[in-house]
Amino acid sequence: MTPKGIIEIKNVTFYRADRAIFKNLSCTISTGKITAIMGASGSGKTTLLRLIGGQLQPDEGQVFLFGQDVALLNTLHLNQLRSRMGVLFQSGALFTDLSVFDNVAFPLREHLNLSADDLYNRVLLKLEAVGLRGARDLMPSQLSGGMARRVALARAVAIEPELILYDEPFAGQDPIAMAVLQRLIKHINAQMQLTSVLVSHDITEAFAISDEVILLGHSGVLAQGSPDELKASEDPAVKQFIHGEADGVIPFHFAAPPLQEELRGLNHD
Amino acid sequence: MINVIADIGSIALGKLIRMGEALLMLLQAIVVKPKISSISRLIQQLYIVGVQSLVIILVSALFIGMVLGLQGYTLLSAYGSEQAVGQMVALTLVRELSPVVAALLFAGRAGSALTAEIGLMKATEQLASLEMFGVDPLHRIVAPRFWAGMISLPLLVAIFSLVGIYGGYLVAVDWLGVYGGSYWGNMQQAVDFNEDVLNGMVKAVVFAFLISWTALYQGYSCIPTSQGISAATTRTVVYSSLAILGFDFILTALMFGGTI
Amino acid sequence: MKKRWLELSVGLMIVAGIAALITLAIQVSGGSMSRNADHYTVTALFENAAGLSPKAKVTMAGVVVGEVVSVGIDPYALKAQVHMKIDGQVNYLSIDTSASILTSGLLGEKYVGLTVGAEEDVLVDGDVIEDTQSALVLEDLIGQFLLNFGDNT
Repeated sequence: MTPKGIIEIKNVTFYRADRAIFKNLSCTISTGKITAIMGASGSGKTTLLRLIGGQLQPDEGQVFLFGQDVALLNTLHLNQLRSRMGVLFQSGALFTDLSVFDNVAFPLREHLNLSADDLYNRVLLKLEAVGLRGARDLMPSQLSGGMARRVALARAVAIEPELILYDEPFAGQDPIAMAVLQRLIKHINAQMQLTSVLVSHDITEAFAISDEVILLGHSGVLAQGSPDELKASEDPAVKQFIHGEADGVIPFHFAAPPLQEELRGLNHD
Repeated sequence: MINVIADIGSIALGKLIRMGEALLMLLQAIVVKPKISSISRLIQQLYIVGVQSLVIILVSALFIGMVLGLQGYTLLSAYGSEQAVGQMVALTLVRELSPVVAALLFAGRAGSALTAEIGLMKATEQLASLEMFGVDPLHRIVAPRFWAGMISLPLLVAIFSLVGIYGGYLVAVDWLGVYGGSYWGNMQQAVDFNEDVLNGMVKAVVFAFLISWTALYQGYSCIPTSQGISAATTRTVVYSSLAILGFDFILTALMFGGTI
Repeated sequence: MKKRWLELSVGLMIVAGIAALITLAIQVSGGSMSRNADHYTVTALFENAAGLSPKAKVTMAGVVVGEVVSVGIDPYALKAQVHMKIDGQVNYLSIDTSASILTSGLLGEKYVGLTVGAEEDVLVDGDVIEDTQSALVLEDLIGQFLLNFGDNT
């Protein structure tokens, strides 16, 4: 069975406590493109990312990464796969006891056997790509949020992986930082010929750079297609998300009895 | 009534499961081939866990030794036996107070710091990040801290005993006038290396194991929020302290209970 | 520079800890590590061995020459049987050596005191000391005192 894309999700069901995050979910992520996984909070975006990375196992179904079933791999093979991909965590997740330079150098020291000079040059080049070469001796605690995320990006691409996963890269960023990140993601994807998967709920930013969008909801895929296709969709759930409507298929009000019954001081029968 | 029993049962079961998880974590962390590269991490942890605890250990040991000298002198002089204050201070410290007090201080200072550090690494996704880079956080983060604890505390206990005995000397001999020769002489007759000093060190090793294990597990398994980390830190100190005192009784009974 | 200090201080701490342990061994416990020095065992029978316990000192002329190993009962002589191990170098105890149970200091720790006799042959491993003086029991002393006191009035 030849997988069609670099990542294939086949009939995955995943429960957290008693809630089904995914029921029979299937989708494919095409190689070489920037794919955005989107959905309302709680739709399972980050969970999907963790399933792809092998940090979580599906209760049913299979997750194929680079053509291999992630759940069947032993630790050694899983780590080999992981060395072919980079992950950018939501908080950057820089190692607080290492400097910026050592953070970016970390995956290089772990997976590759470079000479000291080669390592040094590589780190500088990656930092240059994110515009932070001058900050290489700072400690993570001295960086702003946006800068930390850029260093984390440099770290994620340091070993020049085939795939990068971004967990909410635009969350809580100022407009300049967002523009910088957008530019970097697109640039890196094109220049290094990667596949990028980003999890986000920022419509404008994600749509601006993605080639394909997968919209999650109701324990499955609501829609999949190019950004233009989704904008034109007539599906009410899709429309509510895309156009940012406060109320719709996903209701505004949390389930509760009628207001009249709950107010005090009124005459009830 | 049935509900109460069911609740107690499920709490007990939960605790049992947690203990099992803790054991698995520990085994996974320490059953590994030692690598040269891990030595530098170990040394770094020895500094953070051990050297940075030295101040509180030294100060506490000095004061406790001095108090023992003072109280001991007061009590023994009622029987005309002030000369025995040396052996009183030494035996009390070496058999009981050094391992127990040093361990309690260690749990509060180093144990809580370990839990908070690992909990914070979990909350900021650093542990997950390590995993994604193909590095096992149990080997890289947990193991060096465990061995640092196992090595540091026994050393600190030995230092505690010595400083405490010296503190007692300062009070009893320099201040209260006990003859220096009898301070050390009586002590040497009464303190047996195998029976007293080594048994105290065995206690220190056991306590080191309990504290390191508890602190690391609580940090590793905490809920990754600020509230979760604070709860985990509290649990480390409380569980470690209870374990120290409980095992102290068991060990004391085993070691010293036979000879009356 | 910071890295140097880190390793240096760790090294210092380890050295200090081991040094503390060694000091404790030598200065504090007076090294009764002579477990492996050779000893020979001698037995003494007492009418009353009250208060004598294993590990108590065995002395001669006030100097420690050995240790009590066990205190039991001799079922044939119906006396207290005390096994002692004597330092191998003390091989000049005559066979008519006497053993007494004495009290050390006010706190009443009991120990065995040996007094050498006049015979030429010496005690060897397994010998029995027959000339013994039992422990002083406080009640007996008081009783004796009252008896004497009663006699005099």
